[in-house]
Amino acid sequence: MEKYPEAGISLHPDDTAAVFEIFIKTTPERLWEAITDSELRAKYSFGVATRSDWAPGSTYQAGVPGVVEIAEGENLEVDPPRRLVQTFSALWSDEVRQEGPSRVTWEIEPVGDSCRLTVIHDQLRAGANGELYGGWPMILSGLKTLLETGEALTTPGSLRYSGASA
Amino acid sequence: MDEVFKALADPTRRALLDLLFEQDGQTLTALESRLPMTRFGVMKHLRVLEEANLVVARRRGREKLHFLNPVPIRLIHDRWVSKYAAPWASTLMGLKRELEEEDHGEVPRGRDQPASG
Repeated sequence: MEKYPEAGISLHPDDTAAVFEIFIKTTPERLWEAITDSELRAKYSFGVATRSDWAPGSTYQAGVPGVVEIAEGENLEVDPPRRLVQTFSALWSDEVRQEGPSRVTWEIEPVGDSCRLTVIHDQLRAGANGELYGGWPMILSGLKTLLETGEALTTPGSLRYSGASA
Repeated sequence: MDEVFKALADPTRRALLDLLFEQDGQTLTALESRLPMTRFGVMKHLRVLEEANLVVARRRGREKLHFLNPVPIRLIHDRWVSKYAAPWASTLMGLKRELEEEDHGEVPRGRDQPASG
């Protein structure tokens, strides 16, 4: 009956959360690399690179320098190639900046010849702006395409900041 | 992908997704109270949705919460709709380029652009 008796974090009471899950035919190591490598990350994240040294307690910045700031935060837990917990402060508009920090947890679990990737975006304000977490389905779909075919998606959003520079 | 279409091919299961779309992260008891159906019936439908990965369950304390996972529907979109959306993307990207590089005469073709750079 229980689908994930052992899996991952338990949600806090009163948390507003969004949960996204995808199966990708790859190894946990390759998936971890695609999440933490700045250039690979940009290929499926609207062209936006995420920069960090990925040490526990370090910070990260996501954006296209001189063009747009997307997000920043702290890497609370870094456990390659299984688990990454980050605070997330959206920066792309005044509206989303007002939401303050939330939390994003990445969980990688090998299943046969594939991985189950779960992204939990929680510690959101009740009634939080949907833009904060609305990009995840497109990002995860692009990540799957990249790892399984080596190609980048060409949907409008996936190309948004590609090729952009100051 | 078969499982996704099978899961969606039922009005009760679509109603369950509607309820989660309206308010994400609900218990079986909360969902059951909104549908003219037994607890067992709702459980069965939720299981089909979970197997299709359209619903993901997570624990919060002693509760099991159900979340709408829109990713499989996004994959369907990207498989068939992306082709039709691409010309819009290339137009927008072309416009963006032109605005950013006014001295540059070439209009880029969106689909052939590198994905990053």
